[in-house]
Amino acid sequence: MNYVAIIGERKVKVTVEAKSGSNYEVTVDGTRNTVNASRVADHLWSILYGNKSVEADMLQLPGDEFEVLIQGDRHRFSLMNEHQRAMLQPDVKGTAGRALILSPMPGKIVKLLVEIGQEVGANHGLIIVEAMKMENEIKSAGAGRIAEIFVKEGDVVESGAKLLLVE
Amino acid sequence: MFRKILIANRGEIAVRVLHACREMGIPTVAVFSEIDRAALHTRYADEAYCIGPAPAPESYLNIERIMETARKSGAQAIHPGYGFLAENPLFAERCEKEGIKLIGPSASAMRTMGSKTLARKTVRSAGVPVVPGTLEPVSKDEEVLRIAREIGFPVMLKATAGGGGKGMRLVKDASELQSSLRMARSEARSAFSDDSVYVEKYIESTRHVEIQILGDQFDNYIHLCERECSIQRRHQKVIEESPSVIITPEIRAAMGKVAIEAARAVHYEGAGTCEFLVDPDRNFYFLEMNTRLQVEHPVTEMVTGIDIVKEQIRLAAGEKLTVPQEDVKQSGHAIECRIYAEDPDRDFVPCPGLITSMRPPSGPGVREDSGVYEGFEIPIHYDPIISKLIAWGKDRTEAIARMKRALSSYVIMGVKTTIPFHLRVMGNRQFIEGNFDTNFINGAFSEEKEVREPANEEFALLAAAIHLYEEERKRAANHVSGDAAEPVSMWKHSMRPGVPGNWRVRR
Repeated sequence: MNYVAIIGERKVKVTVEAKSGSNYEVTVDGTRNTVNASRVADHLWSILYGNKSVEADMLQLPGDEFEVLIQGDRHRFSLMNEHQRAMLQPDVKGTAGRALILSPMPGKIVKLLVEIGQEVGANHGLIIVEAMKMENEIKSAGAGRIAEIFVKEGDVVESGAKLLLVE
Repeated sequence: MFRKILIANRGEIAVRVLHACREMGIPTVAVFSEIDRAALHTRYADEAYCIGPAPAPESYLNIERIMETARKSGAQAIHPGYGFLAENPLFAERCEKEGIKLIGPSASAMRTMGSKTLARKTVRSAGVPVVPGTLEPVSKDEEVLRIAREIGFPVMLKATAGGGGKGMRLVKDASELQSSLRMARSEARSAFSDDSVYVEKYIESTRHVEIQILGDQFDNYIHLCERECSIQRRHQKVIEESPSVIITPEIRAAMGKVAIEAARAVHYEGAGTCEFLVDPDRNFYFLEMNTRLQVEHPVTEMVTGIDIVKEQIRLAAGEKLTVPQEDVKQSGHAIECRIYAEDPDRDFVPCPGLITSMRPPSGPGVREDSGVYEGFEIPIHYDPIISKLIAWGKDRTEAIARMKRALSSYVIMGVKTTIPFHLRVMGNRQFIEGNFDTNFINGAFSEEKEVREPANEEFALLAAAIHLYEEERKRAANHVSGDAAEPVSMWKHSMRPGVPGNWRVRR
């Protein structure tokens, strides 16, 4: 099976093929690797590469994002099937010149500092989100006009929830 | 001894107190908010009572509901843990009035030590050195200026009712005084409903060292030596250890003695902590007394072998101190790292959410005090502390090595944690050499660039690719066998945007 990984700026082609036992052949950018992988729990793999042994904890996030924890280091990248990637390609643009402000954390909307139609400069405070006794003021990155507000004071939002649209 | 104890707290500290009660054979009562129905303390106690909605003022700070629950359950004593009602003299008074023993000092000791100026006055007359400055709150701005000139800039403005770094301002010279004073007062007013401030000389490059004390109801006291808590962020301790590398046996004995004098001055009962600033010449000054169990108490337990929570319970039940001062010895070295649900890569923003995987470390010299578990959703309403990791070694070098080993095998997935931050500190040369002060994290440490590339990146990719391949294969197999109801893991479900998990929209 063919996959595409995006690690930072780097795009990497990956193919996976199951062999006998718990062996896999994984090709990364043309380099062939034989990996022995044992799934010891639903989201935990024991990897033997030759005789080097590592444990990898897996977390699949929305948007084909993977977070993999190995010996205290967190690795984050996106990984998807080649077909999926082809399908995703077209609508990357569409919000040019607009900034969609997302909540950096789950929390409660304490205060809206702007209203629809208001002109704001860069670094203008837009909204205050509170979580765990800490208030976090989210500021605008550039100048613009508040086009849309998706939340109201008192709402509880998830991480990544749409808060405002600045044009 | 008490027949039943109610724990008026949640999270790791509630679980810690439950452990002590279990070991003593005392039945326990947990209280929980609506969102904490499946929290660890709710599951672990012998009885559990819901005391209200998630916001703390309606549950864990609700004195009426807690007193009512104590009566209903037949609890004879309440352990307040730390935070919430632990240092609230009104709560202590209510308990005294209703004949329920609060495991901690009297309301009057709490009140004296809760007022920073009253505490300074009280301990100073008991012969305890305090930071030079005023012993009374200062009301007029001109008066503040006069005093600041007298003791010399820089000075600290501090809220009389202060704590946790709120209402505190460093003033470098006279030109900054007015605006700093205004900010300190307004912060103090909103945090403590009391805008009075006092002035202290600012001492540069200090370390934070504290003495744990125990007192019984018969005015007997011992101290359990020191903890060093200089590794702080935003005036909050994040790493603590015992012993402190800068404390000699002579200084330890001297600090222990004055801490006991401070406790004696208010007839302190139970476990308490005197905090001191230590300057580069190793002069020490009383800062404040915390009238409760401290977050960092485990490092003292690890080196002295004394279970502080069990001692608290025994002393509250009217038993005498049994350990003589000369039997208190520090053996080896212990370090504690506070593990928070915060993202160290994004200025430590809180990261509540679902813990999808969790495997705490174990092995020689490692202790984990945790309040969560795999599958638990960390609520947004309370402190972001997940757990505390404590490592003990025969010396500091071994304790650091064990802490590094434990941190790097501590798996918590689904929420960001401060584990990577702690790993960096454990690898920092200045930390290893014991060469730091309370500005270490904001200063030398944050200026230092992280040079180490994360290891094993290629294995991460190999593992993820195999994982995805197997997931797709499983899905395809389900399809072929006509199994329409594809099993969706609970993790994926709650992570998907747009699917409301346990978040409720409050109207």
